[in-house]
Amino acid sequence: MSLAIEASNVTKIFGEIRALDGLSFNVKSGEIFGLIGPNGAGKTTTLRIVSTLLLPTSGTVKVFGFDVVKNAAEVRKIISYLPEEAGAYRYLSGLEYLEFMAKFHTKDKYEAREMVNEAAEISGLGERLKDKTKAYSKGMKRRLLVARALMVKPKLAILDEPTSGLDVIHAYHVRDIIKKYVQEHGVTVLLSSHNMLEVEHLCDRVALVNKGKVVAEGEPQELKEKFEGENLEEVFAKVVKIA
Amino acid sequence: MLKGFGNFLLKELKELVRDPKILLGMIIVPLIMFPILGAVMGYAVQSAQEQAVKATLVVVNNDDGEWSNAFISFLQKAGVKVLVENNTVLENGKVLELVSKYNTTQILEIPKGFSENVTAHFSNSSIKASLRFYGVFLGTSVFESVSSSIVDGLVSRFNRAIAPDVLYTEKSTIVKGEIKYGVDPAVLSGLMMSQSIALPITIMILLTYSIQIAATSVAVEKEEKTLETLLTMPMDRLAILLGKLSGSIVVAAVGAIAYMAGYSYLMGSVLTGVTANINIDLASLGLAPSFLGYLLLGVSLFVTMLSALALAVILSAFAEDVRSAQSFVGYIYPFIFLPAFALMYVDINTLPYAFKLVLYAIPYSHPVIASRAITMGHYWTAILGIIYVSAFTIVVMYAASRLFATEKILTAKIKFKRGKRGKKPAEEFY
Repeated sequence: MSLAIEASNVTKIFGEIRALDGLSFNVKSGEIFGLIGPNGAGKTTTLRIVSTLLLPTSGTVKVFGFDVVKNAAEVRKIISYLPEEAGAYRYLSGLEYLEFMAKFHTKDKYEAREMVNEAAEISGLGERLKDKTKAYSKGMKRRLLVARALMVKPKLAILDEPTSGLDVIHAYHVRDIIKKYVQEHGVTVLLSSHNMLEVEHLCDRVALVNKGKVVAEGEPQELKEKFEGENLEEVFAKVVKIA
Repeated sequence: MLKGFGNFLLKELKELVRDPKILLGMIIVPLIMFPILGAVMGYAVQSAQEQAVKATLVVVNNDDGEWSNAFISFLQKAGVKVLVENNTVLENGKVLELVSKYNTTQILEIPKGFSENVTAHFSNSSIKASLRFYGVFLGTSVFESVSSSIVDGLVSRFNRAIAPDVLYTEKSTIVKGEIKYGVDPAVLSGLMMSQSIALPITIMILLTYSIQIAATSVAVEKEEKTLETLLTMPMDRLAILLGKLSGSIVVAAVGAIAYMAGYSYLMGSVLTGVTANINIDLASLGLAPSFLGYLLLGVSLFVTMLSALALAVILSAFAEDVRSAQSFVGYIYPFIFLPAFALMYVDINTLPYAFKLVLYAIPYSHPVIASRAITMGHYWTAILGIIYVSAFTIVVMYAASRLFATEKILTAKIKFKRGKRGKKPAEEFY
């Protein structure tokens, strides 16, 4: 199986703070890969580097063979990034927002409409898509944004805390959307979460990140067996202790 | 007293006073700006008065009688530098010849029969003696009216000493080398002032509005976390910058048109009344800008606006939210207000060299300078200003495009903390 992401010995330094400290991991094409770890572990920085927003201080990251620094424009054509606290334009309706985003990916009107229809279905927002996004609840907004990220059928979807701030029902819905979409369209997903139980159910493989380093990597079941934990939370606690 | 009001007010005041952006923008900047403005204007008034007093008044004495000689002595005793030219018929060409010969801006003619009329006045108060005043209009400063006013003052003093209302002055203005009979330079100067105030105010409002719009539009993208998504889209990042600038320009232009329409209606209604009474038509005097003039002014305004917007985009890129962005761009305002206020009243050429240099260096001065220059047909002044502001704009636009091309657009932040300024590491990123 080809590699969707190859991150090799990545460091990122902000002033005096070393956010990433030699982080390495690989993501296979077509899998859901989770970066898990506590707040401040370096998950968001990693996602931002993969999505070409930040430059690594050292090390390399390749997305389907394209270097995120040297071939940033190529990378942007095949990825879709959902930031953790992303918002939508308050004075655009949900539909207008989706149309606006679709037009960056295609000049063909028919194709753009297809994308918007796809997003409408993913989001499940129905008639509410005609409302301005300022009238949306947090859950509705997140569903809209997840739909936006997936509607373009990217080769790689980068989702930062996709269920962040959502209640149980909405979080379940968003997880369901992601899983279904990957199964149906073969999209590769790199996501981050500090909710380890969620990741356990969603991801094919995970990397445990702590203090800017990957401290363990593998399938959730494999990690639980290896570190004799009942769930990934226990595994993480044990790994951090050992590290 | 409302329950909890005092406590809440105290909290509000603490927050406001401790916010260095507010302290600087609202208190310290005005405290510095207005004294500077006061000094500039004070200097201008003083120098205009000094110049008017020191300036040579060419007196053409076509009367050469007892009273005309008495009047000339009176002027000399009052400290006016008088040059007397005897028996010269003041036709159109002769007035201009004298202006050029003596390098003067004011000529006073004592017509034949002056002394006779003054003497006759004592037996018949309806007989009065006239003087003819010619003032050169340069259109540079509102204080041009000073010389005309000084002559008025001297005539009044002479009248008080001899007999009330014995002398009166017929005034004419020399505009662009042509004598406009019956046009008082002071009235013309006042009329031009109303125009020279209208435009700087419009420019000031236009620039501040558009700066606010640009700063807010960038800051909102950051505050609402939409910028991150946008930066990962398959699009040219320069398109984001240009889109922001163009959007702001369009909104500001619509606002400017609405503002200009309202303001011109106001000025029109005011000026109609004024011009009806004094019968002055600026267009027929050659003091209304030509098409080329308007074109140059439009270009000057456009490049200035572009430079201000680009600077606002850069500054707001360092802000974390809309409030900070608006505070940051607040630092641009003194550079807009100072030239606008100063150049409303003062001719830049009469200022000390250092002030002149400062005003020319501020890009936002140039549309105001251009507005004055095009009225008088000095197109090169406007063109040089456009070249300077364009160069400044290119530098700022380049810096803005570099900012948008790198991660700095997300990570660059200026944090005000305990009076120290410095870049704050973006800790929420990891």
